[in-house]
Amino acid sequence: MRRRLGWSFWLALGWITLILAAAATADLLPLPRYDETLVGPPQAGPGPDHPFGTDGLGRDVLSRVVYGARVSLIVGIGAVLLGVLFGAPLGVLAGYRRRATDAVIMGVNDIALAFPALVFALAVVAFAGASLLNVLIVLGVLGVPAWVRLVRGATMVFSEREFVAAARVLGARDRTVLWREVVPNVSLPVLSYAFIGMAVAIVAEGSLAFLGLSVQAPTPTWGGLINEGRPLMEDAPHVVLIPSFVMFLTVLAFNLIGDRLRALTDVRQSNLEPVRRRQADRLPARPHHVEEDVLLQVADLRTHFTTARGAVRAVDGVSFTLQRGRTLAIVGESGSGKSMLIRSVLGLTPEAGTRRGGRVYLDGQDLTELDDEQMRHILGTRMAAVFQDPMTALNPVRTIGTQVMEPLMVHLGMKRKAARARAAELLASVGIPEPARILRRYPHQLSGGMRQRVTIAMALSCGPDILFADEPTTALDVTVQDQVLRLIRRQREERHMAVVLVSHDLSVVAEWSDEVIVMYAGKVVERGPADSLFERTRMPYTEALLRAVPKLTDPAHHPLRLLPGRPPDLAHPPSGCAFHPRCPYARERCSQEEPPLFQAETLDHLYACWYPVGTGAGVVETSPELSGASGTAEALKAAEEAAELEEAAEAAEVVAEAAAELETTDVIEGADSRGR
Amino acid sequence: MAGSGNAHLRPPGEVVLRVEDLVVEFPAGRGRSVHAVSGVSFDVARGETLGIVGESGCGKSTTARALMQMPPPLRGSVRLDGLELTALRGEALRRTRRRLQMIFQDPISSLNPRRRVRDIVAEGPRVWGAGADRVDEMLTAVGLDPATAATRRPHEFSGGQCQRVSIARALVLDPEIVICDEPVSALDVSVQAQILALLEELKERYRLTLVFIAHDLAVVKNVSDRILVMYLGKVCELASGDALVERPAHPYTRALLASIPRGGLGLPPADQLISGEPPSPVTPPSGCRFRTRCPAATPLCAAEEPVMRRIGTDHWVACHHPQETGEILKPVEAPQVARAPEAAFPQPAEEAEDARVPKSPKVPKVPKVR
Repeated sequence: MRRRLGWSFWLALGWITLILAAAATADLLPLPRYDETLVGPPQAGPGPDHPFGTDGLGRDVLSRVVYGARVSLIVGIGAVLLGVLFGAPLGVLAGYRRRATDAVIMGVNDIALAFPALVFALAVVAFAGASLLNVLIVLGVLGVPAWVRLVRGATMVFSEREFVAAARVLGARDRTVLWREVVPNVSLPVLSYAFIGMAVAIVAEGSLAFLGLSVQAPTPTWGGLINEGRPLMEDAPHVVLIPSFVMFLTVLAFNLIGDRLRALTDVRQSNLEPVRRRQADRLPARPHHVEEDVLLQVADLRTHFTTARGAVRAVDGVSFTLQRGRTLAIVGESGSGKSMLIRSVLGLTPEAGTRRGGRVYLDGQDLTELDDEQMRHILGTRMAAVFQDPMTALNPVRTIGTQVMEPLMVHLGMKRKAARARAAELLASVGIPEPARILRRYPHQLSGGMRQRVTIAMALSCGPDILFADEPTTALDVTVQDQVLRLIRRQREERHMAVVLVSHDLSVVAEWSDEVIVMYAGKVVERGPADSLFERTRMPYTEALLRAVPKLTDPAHHPLRLLPGRPPDLAHPPSGCAFHPRCPYARERCSQEEPPLFQAETLDHLYACWYPVGTGAGVVETSPELSGASGTAEALKAAEEAAELEEAAEAAEVVAEAAAELETTDVIEGADSRGR
Repeated sequence: MAGSGNAHLRPPGEVVLRVEDLVVEFPAGRGRSVHAVSGVSFDVARGETLGIVGESGCGKSTTARALMQMPPPLRGSVRLDGLELTALRGEALRRTRRRLQMIFQDPISSLNPRRRVRDIVAEGPRVWGAGADRVDEMLTAVGLDPATAATRRPHEFSGGQCQRVSIARALVLDPEIVICDEPVSALDVSVQAQILALLEELKERYRLTLVFIAHDLAVVKNVSDRILVMYLGKVCELASGDALVERPAHPYTRALLASIPRGGLGLPPADQLISGEPPSPVTPPSGCRFRTRCPAATPLCAAEEPVMRRIGTDHWVACHHPQETGEILKPVEAPQVARAPEAAFPQPAEEAEDARVPKSPKVPKVPKVR
């Protein structure tokens, strides 16, 4: 795996290495001694003999800065080591053992944190004397409570993870679990915080030295140098500025390293993230006829991301129309581009690194021509969206009432009282009991199903023409799913609106939609009325998906027909038909020519396949079925080889991840835009 | 539903795992507790797959953890080949635990991101001082190529492949029982089918006994010999998959089946079989825990908790008013309240618009023998 640390990291690391090397080899460097006076004229500015100039007593400032680095670095690194030495074991113990151990350790820790640190430092140094060791111990001990807290938090997070449970199931002792499973994961955040901690310790030592409470003269320290130079500020500012600048750079470098290391723990880079570059150019759209009398027409829609690994065609030339009162389902596996398709229709794709193409017409009006402000208005009033996780769509710190009322007050200009009454009506209409009481609740006080009802009520509040529902029930239980889908259908009928339902679940799609689009690798591979598509399936991918789902009416241990392999790498899709490497019916032509959308015998039923299922072309020479009972391992193995191990997985993930990311931000933005 | 009782348990000699009256509670603050699992009993015969199905909060995952004694249950007994696991502590528990293994829901979270696949799978043998000679065999068995996969880290794999690694890790210690806690619910349908087929194949090859926990009844039915339906910490119904789907007796089982889109079972719409929201497990309803959402509930359901009783060949239900299943067999345990057979099919008030027209309860039908 390649991880990007960035040039700033290497620059910072270079600077710290330089300072460390200089401090360590100060005695060997061709420098005057730090306490030797009148090596040059006093208060001389930087020059060839003395690159950093001299101070009031004619001592070489470079030499004093280099020797001063010893104190700063010893205190900085030493204090952190001391803190980790005592803090980390306590933190790991508290985070892993929990209960009484945790309560005792954290109780003592909280008391220690409440103790005024500066007073403690001053008192110790004043009584025990201002030596390097004392300063180091004081700063180290002061850091311990923060370390305990940090390590305990990280330990708790990882102890919850299932791999820790798995290790205990294997019979590993606690000690083994800690060393092999928890500590390696905790060490990266600890390392990153260590660098930030060093920066803090260096600043703290500097402050103590400035107050004269650190190592005493004649040993130079950076804080001491700054303090000494103070009276010369007007005549020889370099005496103050140079040590200040060196200290500033060092602190900055430690912080930068810590920051970059922390970024490593958060982000998993796959080189498929959109490159942060704005791309204004649009992909050309194929000529198309703008249809009249349709609510929504999508023509040749394209969304391509520029990534480090090449262009990813998340949505690649999708066209469809949608009438009022109908439900269109978009179905596909993760990475098929189904979520990206509706985000593209809604204009919610990220700006950076994205190339768009194609047109979206709402009642004949081209939405892709609109500016952000106009689009926001459309999103608020004519098109509304509901996403998978209702918790991310709702603001956790605001009541349900304020969130449901906001779009009513902003978009429809309602007064507070009227909006509250309307909000209660809306909640009642989506089947929420006691709406007046629920309006005063916070999102976390509701169940998942209730929260999804609230987001649906919000989406419906301004009477949209189209409701986009992106996996609205995936996070919900099956009985709740039934309730929510039933609700969406009832609302569609009452309001005479259209619904676009995105789902990976074919049975949901079959039951609750009128028309279906099946997506694979960013393209439509089959499209048609639900009945026709499910009963007279033409595309082998659709067929494979249908057969892979266990059916209730099949007997137990009924072998499932397997679809080997994984979705393709969108950065490098297979040639010809993107499904051909996994297709049991594929022939030579499939890998060479991409099939266009053919018209099936049923009206409006289209499929992209050279040798469709259930027709003369498809039945001839079908390859033997990859049935579950026999040859599973062989089939899987073949699949492993066919699909490139890593890339395909990542490609599938990146779209899923991008979608997940968008979900969090866009839902909130979506809600806000409705509000503003 | 909300049933208790042990009538459905088989004699100890026939089963490898026997769970009796399992109770797990968690503190919920202010002296209250979450009644996560309240008196659940079941058993699993060697080589059998028991499916446990139910919705979130029904206690199915908590039950799985309690079997592993992680944490040990508050009350109840878990016997593995007659050995009482709840009585074991420390070293003895650690030694016994390896005979049970687990596969978790989240394929990513269940693998340590900092370790290589080979080390993850070899961890079990390493803990027990055995050689890593089975590691490659296991990786191959789960459909991974040891040569390319072993040195990679989990994030380089897709969810399905990570789940294969988890399965290899669980099987490398040659366990007697594998508990699969929602092993396919985070996967795409095509990958889900691959993993299900793999589990079936490995079960045959290594003669495993499986406890398969999932919320998707169709998935559970596909792999299970018997299915246990749970609701709010209680057992509702236990039957073979076919019996459960063809003759669901518990109102909750019926609601669950009716909620499945395109289930094709000819049940009334789900909204006529279940209403409202699940109650809080902190203050569960008295009597039958399903009564607050049950269209067939009567005062009896609030007053008295139903116990498991037999209604067909290896078909058990904990309900005062189970749906007619063709032949009502006499409960094996004497019911606490003696009732006329008609009382089993009362006409609740809600029945007016209920599409559940009771079929003639008098026509005896011989249950299918399988």
